[in-house]
Amino acid sequence: MEFLYSVIDTLLPFEWTEFNFMKNAFVAVLLITPLFGLVGTMIVNNRMSFFSDALGHSALTGIAIGVLMGVDNYLLSMLGFALLFAVGISAVIGSGVSSADTIIGVFSSTGLALGVVLLSASGGFSKYSSYLIGDILTVQPEEIALLGCVLLAVLLVWGLFFNRFLLSSINGDLAASKNIREGALQKIFVILVAVLVTVSIKWVGVLIINSLLVLPAASARNVARSMRSYHAWSVGVSMFSGVAGLILSYYLGTAAGGTIVLVAAVVFAVTFLAGMVSGRRRAA
Amino acid sequence: MQIICIYDVESFKKGSETMRVRRAAALLLALCLALFSGCGRARTQEEPAFRVVTSFYSMYIMALNVTDGIEGVQVENMAGQQTGCLHDYQLQTKDMKNLEQADVFVVNGAGMESFLDKVTSQLPELSIVDTSEGLWLIESGEDGSHVHEEDGHEHTEDDGHDHGEVNPHIWVSISECIGQVENLSEGLQKADPAHAEQYRANTEAYVEKLSELRDRMHEAIDPLPNRNIVTFHEAFPYFAEEFDLNVVKVVNREPDSQPSARELAETIRLVEDAGVAAVFAEPQYPESAADIIASESGIRVWTLDPVTTGPDDKDAYLNAMEQNMETLVQALS
Repeated sequence: MEFLYSVIDTLLPFEWTEFNFMKNAFVAVLLITPLFGLVGTMIVNNRMSFFSDALGHSALTGIAIGVLMGVDNYLLSMLGFALLFAVGISAVIGSGVSSADTIIGVFSSTGLALGVVLLSASGGFSKYSSYLIGDILTVQPEEIALLGCVLLAVLLVWGLFFNRFLLSSINGDLAASKNIREGALQKIFVILVAVLVTVSIKWVGVLIINSLLVLPAASARNVARSMRSYHAWSVGVSMFSGVAGLILSYYLGTAAGGTIVLVAAVVFAVTFLAGMVSGRRRAA
Repeated sequence: MQIICIYDVESFKKGSETMRVRRAAALLLALCLALFSGCGRARTQEEPAFRVVTSFYSMYIMALNVTDGIEGVQVENMAGQQTGCLHDYQLQTKDMKNLEQADVFVVNGAGMESFLDKVTSQLPELSIVDTSEGLWLIESGEDGSHVHEEDGHEHTEDDGHDHGEVNPHIWVSISECIGQVENLSEGLQKADPAHAEQYRANTEAYVEKLSELRDRMHEAIDPLPNRNIVTFHEAFPYFAEEFDLNVVKVVNREPDSQPSARELAETIRLVEDAGVAAVFAEPQYPESAADIIASESGIRVWTLDPVTTGPDDKDAYLNAMEQNMETLVQALS
């Protein structure tokens, strides 16, 4: 960590890197945002943005369960509940009883309501409201190591399964004919999203975590021409918004998470216009 | 024949459906009845002669002392022992039920119970004792606020639950606490004249304990050399006023908001420049921001208790203040 700090000090000798908490936040952003950019591409492709939102909401219930069990670290209870929740959603969707968005809506509101009811049972919901907007500034070195592990794991899963993910998201029948088991594949992806959302919810917050998943990939779709550039754009936009948002929040004195999302939204608007202009030019 | 047969089957189906609906309705009705009769039973339980409900813990401890040992007087804490300050408190159904059966509702006042007008409009008969009446109040943001020329961000976000114009954390100063205990006692004497004499005696005893503690605290704290402190959550202006401490900066005026990076950085610089002796967090709230400030500037985080949560013990306030005194002596010498 000391080494990392001194690297940041030499490379970025600015006011905002003066204190260690900003250095920690900076490193955490550099680790979290590429993850969101990467996983977001598939979420946008598969039209699952609602699903990741539901997972974010379920984190509240996970926290509540942790509180009830009296554990200090809510990560385990959140992770356990989110996995249960994610597998539950995908199983109910798989049964084909109702459309996916309806089922996700049902689960999402249930997760949120259960969390609110359990947490406010003692009348003190405000204690947990930091989970709603997140707080990247309190990230600790050990937690940064955890984020690094998650990044590695996600990269590994991506390397192993990406082609299969892609094929089944483009054409399920073709994937099935190539002996790809879509159900199992979907479960892997769902678990991946659940882990990512759970691990980062403390710093990003329930209310804005989904924007970080969706906005970079959505911006990338506006301008990308190939699958490769789509990924590159998405990761790039995500990291840019993360770093720019963090720095802006320092100088403006605003909440870091919200500022990051606003930067990403501006990037989306710009890429949207750029995409329209270039599309028209090509048409002409 | 065939047609009749089909008709019969249809009517049978129809019949079973209406049966099912009826059965469901009956079940629902039975459930409702069971629920209501349950409530009814609760109501016929033997009630105490005089029932005092307090809004939150600090008031509860005062009321416990004033009503100590009086037969037929029951004190109950509406928000529960672990809720702490009533920032953002949402009235629950059980609270209203609780208040409906109360003879007196004891509140801190000064804007702490932001839900109070809801209570008065629902239960206009309820007699309310406002313990802050006639006490000296600090304007909110007057103390230590010079650094807090805020971007407005936290405020707009928290608009719904600021305390209004004055700082409501009166009881944290012992002198003010004594005033509140006296107000409380007067209110109870008026509402329950049968026990007036006992209330008066209890109050006298408790006030004596409080002022004895205040004298000891002055003795211990007055000679301390360094008086610059940083606190979290605006609970300590009255305390600081009483013991002449200089609150250089209050971080997180609203306990549930996170300080922004700029606010943290400013605080760290301020701590270093002004020679702040110690950062004080509260046991009721997470210390993460306090820890950041402390580890960056190399000073220690201590815990000061504003006595908003604690054990169900009438000496809780005295004990917590005693503890605070020891903490201050260690932190500031």
